[in-house]
Amino acid sequence: MSASAIFVLDLKGKVLICRNYKGDVDMSEIDRFMHLLMQHEEEGLLCPVMSHGNVHFMWIKHSNLYLVATTNKNSNASLVYAFLYKLVEVFTEYFKELEEESIQDNFVVVYELLDELMDFGFPQTTDSKILQEYITQEGAKLEVAKSKVPTTVTNAVSWRSEGIKYKKNEVFIDVIESINVLVNANGSVMSSDIVGSIKLKTMLSGMPELRLGLNDRVLFGLTGRDKGKTVMMEDVKFHQCVRLSRFESDRTISFIPPDGESELMSYRINTHVKPLIWIESIIEKFSHSRVEIMVKAKGQFKKQSVANNVEVRVPVPSDADSPKFKTSTGNAKYVPEKNLVVWTIKSFPGGKEFLMRAHFGLPSVENEEMESKPPITVKFEIPYFTVSGIQVRYMKIIEKSGYQALPWVRYITQSGDYQLRTNV
Amino acid sequence: MPYLGGEETVRELRRALSNPNVQSDPLRYRNTILKVIRTMSQGVDVSGLFSEMVKACATVDVVQKKLVYVFLCSYATLNPELSLLVINSLRKDCQDPNPMVRSLALRNMTNLRLPSLVEYVEQPLTAGLRDRAACVRRVAVLGWAKLHNLQPSSEIDAAVVNELYSLLRDPDPVVMVNCLRALEEILKEEGGVAINKPITHHLLNRLKECDIWGQCEVLRVLQRYRPQSEDELFDILSLLDSFLVSPHPPVMAATLSLFLSVSSSLPAVSLAALERVSGPLLAACGSGSREMRFAAVCHIQLLLRSVPGLLGVHYKRFFCGYAEPAYIKERKMQVLVELVNDENVAMILDELKGYCTDVNIDTAQAAISAIGRIGRSYSDRCLQILTGLLGLKQDHITSAVVQTMRDLVWVCPQCSDTVCLALEGCEETLQDIQGRQALLWLLGVYGERISSAPYTLEVLIDGVRSEASLGIKMELLTATMRLFLCRPAETQDMLGRLLHYCIEEETDMCMRDQALLYYHLLHCGIEETRKVLQGRRSDPSLGVLIGRPAKPVSQWARCFNTLEPLSQGAVEAESASRGSPEHMTYNPKPNADLSDTLSCSHIQEIHSGSDNAMRCSDSSTDGLASSITAPLSLCLSPAVSPEDFEHLWLQRQALHTERGAEKIEVVDCAWIEECVRCPAVLHCSPQSLQAAMQLVNIQTLAFTPKHTLPWRVYLYTHTQRSHSTDAPNTTLILGELLCTGEANQKAGVKKGTADSEAGAEGKEDQLVRKEMVATADRLSEDGQEEEEGIKVTLNQQPRDDDALRQFLTVLTTVLNTLSSEKD
Repeated sequence: MSASAIFVLDLKGKVLICRNYKGDVDMSEIDRFMHLLMQHEEEGLLCPVMSHGNVHFMWIKHSNLYLVATTNKNSNASLVYAFLYKLVEVFTEYFKELEEESIQDNFVVVYELLDELMDFGFPQTTDSKILQEYITQEGAKLEVAKSKVPTTVTNAVSWRSEGIKYKKNEVFIDVIESINVLVNANGSVMSSDIVGSIKLKTMLSGMPELRLGLNDRVLFGLTGRDKGKTVMMEDVKFHQCVRLSRFESDRTISFIPPDGESELMSYRINTHVKPLIWIESIIEKFSHSRVEIMVKAKGQFKKQSVANNVEVRVPVPSDADSPKFKTSTGNAKYVPEKNLVVWTIKSFPGGKEFLMRAHFGLPSVENEEMESKPPITVKFEIPYFTVSGIQVRYMKIIEKSGYQALPWVRYITQSGDYQLRTNV
Repeated sequence: MPYLGGEETVRELRRALSNPNVQSDPLRYRNTILKVIRTMSQGVDVSGLFSEMVKACATVDVVQKKLVYVFLCSYATLNPELSLLVINSLRKDCQDPNPMVRSLALRNMTNLRLPSLVEYVEQPLTAGLRDRAACVRRVAVLGWAKLHNLQPSSEIDAAVVNELYSLLRDPDPVVMVNCLRALEEILKEEGGVAINKPITHHLLNRLKECDIWGQCEVLRVLQRYRPQSEDELFDILSLLDSFLVSPHPPVMAATLSLFLSVSSSLPAVSLAALERVSGPLLAACGSGSREMRFAAVCHIQLLLRSVPGLLGVHYKRFFCGYAEPAYIKERKMQVLVELVNDENVAMILDELKGYCTDVNIDTAQAAISAIGRIGRSYSDRCLQILTGLLGLKQDHITSAVVQTMRDLVWVCPQCSDTVCLALEGCEETLQDIQGRQALLWLLGVYGERISSAPYTLEVLIDGVRSEASLGIKMELLTATMRLFLCRPAETQDMLGRLLHYCIEEETDMCMRDQALLYYHLLHCGIEETRKVLQGRRSDPSLGVLIGRPAKPVSQWARCFNTLEPLSQGAVEAESASRGSPEHMTYNPKPNADLSDTLSCSHIQEIHSGSDNAMRCSDSSTDGLASSITAPLSLCLSPAVSPEDFEHLWLQRQALHTERGAEKIEVVDCAWIEECVRCPAVLHCSPQSLQAAMQLVNIQTLAFTPKHTLPWRVYLYTHTQRSHSTDAPNTTLILGELLCTGEANQKAGVKKGTADSEAGAEGKEDQLVRKEMVATADRLSEDGQEEEEGIKVTLNQQPRDDDALRQFLTVLTTVLNTLSSEKD
């Protein structure tokens, strides 16, 4: 992939920290980055790759930082982006939030990390769990030449150290599914999919061996059993601890878990899902006088379930004023800086239907500029429920000391990219 | 960078660093060093502290060491002499019992980038290769690559290279991958690591142990391997199959790249791989990071060049989200245009219509031009949308629509009526130069059908003195000239005024010369002017098929999974993807100057230029000598764009009619007219006809809609025959299928003429007129009046009668098959 150097810049283009890995691109080239960025933005050609002469800048933006990789080769772009995102991931795990302040406060650790993550333009150790074993933020504590070699650097089980002890052995499993939906203005569902992830919080002693059973359709097809609902998963991604060969041969998910929190697997299900919260909207705009908005929200899920913290965000023209609301439940609020009405419903039982009416005034002098037509977006969270019907059937925990451990399972369905287009 | 108080800070830091009290307190010492690094990060030049920092290097505190090394590596090149002092302590660290310290020292030793220190570094590096800790070996291996990079001219010891090769079998996967990387760098001159069978199999077997970076690296290096047998190839492919559907887009892309390169001789395998990979690729298009999504969409554009129908059913995945950045939207729209088919066209157009009113002007204009490109095959629906957009009276939208209409009308002249109607009143909203130019062009070319054309021009002519854009003035002059030819009474006066202004007052030379040219042209007479200004137009009954020949995978496989597909300008990709004739006559490109008067000897040059493999046989005897049938194969490359086709066709037709009188042996091409009886073909949809033709590698370029009369199709192909001389003989065949609806009578007449001419035909005559006697006979026997024959006119260059005859058989078979299916 060969990145020549990595830079972290602030929004003004000032270099906060940088690392020259190959020395084949002049470090001062970065001074052109901001200029290029602005120039491209003006011409409407903004693009994640920008070139000046034979130097290519590949960049991503994270909060108030630009992360830039420079190269003068026709290198593998997607790998470079993957690495830049890996940087963000590692830094975030170290500093909770990656932003200008956290870089400046922790620049010693950042230097150390940049040193370990990449050498001569090639990614080296990028697993933050491993890195955390020998690069610690407690740099301030003076340790005289740690004689302890981190076992994980060369260990067979690189993601877990030996000798972990807990008084109470427990493992918490979170099954979280987010739904992405795009609904057209005429009410037809353009696209929908489910992105699921299974997260673990492991508090187990020793080197336990875990086996997770799901109602995976392929597995049930293999064994010939067909009890109840099964789920067809696509694009399954596992944490490195899962033995892929076993999954490929007999769909068993077996692993030695990393300690603490981790994402065990993620998957995507590309099926036609009924939008769990259905929105019908009528937005009438009377030029020079007013806007009338009527939004109906309907819970299209089981009566036993309840959606929590539902937020329906309805766009309004930027020049609207004097809002008036009427809701059958929850309360509505005008957020002028985002040109939105946010209708919040704390608890939304399945099968119910609620209504919101809003009224805005419009100035008599019409706004000349074209207005964008943002969609209505919805946020919600439904506990104890998964759209796909995925279930944890069992979780076996085996450790040589033979302790008893308890698995706890929790299901949550939440909104992902949930958009409904309007006709105004 | 000048930094206020910089010097003062440096002086203070120096004082602190050399203070024995600070040096004796480890915590204070480290904090002072921390301050130095912080000052350095802020852009202050602290290189003056180099000697103090060298001293600070000798410490047991690992963090302090790291900080000092960061400093030393940044400033070593400025202080090569002082750096020599560091080497000693670094070498000492290389003996440290802690492997972390050893690897740290080794890494920084090689990061100093000082050629003068190479001799001191080599020994610890050699030792590092044999270190028992993997983390030290990882660093040592890459260290050799860095040394080589420092002095590319100096040879690395062969023993080291051998040792690196043996470390490919190191138990640690990162060491293995680093070895590959280092060898690639060191042996760059020799073309990289030697990839033989044992190494390949070893790497493949250990692929699973590597992290994704390692996997990508290994897969990339293996692209150079050529399996020795087909069995081995398939073993490798089945081993890699699970990586092909890897959820990590970079691994998936690297595997696909490897598949394409090892199976380059087996197109079927490549195609199967492309199909298998479409799932993960689509998943990557929905990836959370916009950059990864962008990369995936760009690579899908590459795939679609070879397998245009690959993702047709998944078109919804390329609908743009509201918050997506413009660069992704633009690429997605380009993909959508490629995916259009009969089933999804309504949905896609509906979606694109929504983007036309996007607040981002570039996105809106890209959407409009995407609709225009779809309009080439679905003109009615698209024109309806485009006309509707004019009603919004937004200047940037109107401008894009008018430009799109201009381009569309050139390719699909049948749209001109709708366009002419829609144009009325546009001039009021148009602001920008490109849009107004497009409008002027349309007013000039279709002036006789736009009632308000003279008035629109008159307003502009009256204001010509204040017009700043040269382009507009030029366009205005030409448009007025054209309009004068069809509506002289209304235009004469204003043309006079415009010419007078341009010749007498205009200061721009170009403009003045152009006006003078027109002025003199008018003196030559109205007919002459007409000839010059109203050139040929495309046959209004023809439409160009949007589909184009699938390009071979090899054309883009090399740049797959690199930076190239991402930085290729969107415009470039577009013009490369379809030879659009839009600006050809209007702004002739220098390489497209195939004027009607061009002599035929030029065609040969152009063709041998476009295809290196093509050896033009310079005499027809060669063609005859080859009449011992050699197997014929058809192929579609090099592609012939519609406008090239038109030029060649008209030119040869003209030549053919001239040839009737005098028979001169100058050109080496053949002209055949045949009649094939397969009337049901008329009822085939253009798409199925095109699909059928593409199966046998014949490209259809243009067609009339079904059931229209006269019904015609234009097509082309290249024939290839391997001769005994081993030089492949390539010819280009252009063809026309024509059904006038009165073929019966014609066929009869032609039979007579063909017979009579047959005798006169000399060997050197490149006109071959034949008649499918059987067809004609059957026609007359059956006496079925409603049965119509299809006239096939073929034009071949260079001439190769045998190939032509074989091609005709293929074509007849296809037509008959289509015909029988319809029956």
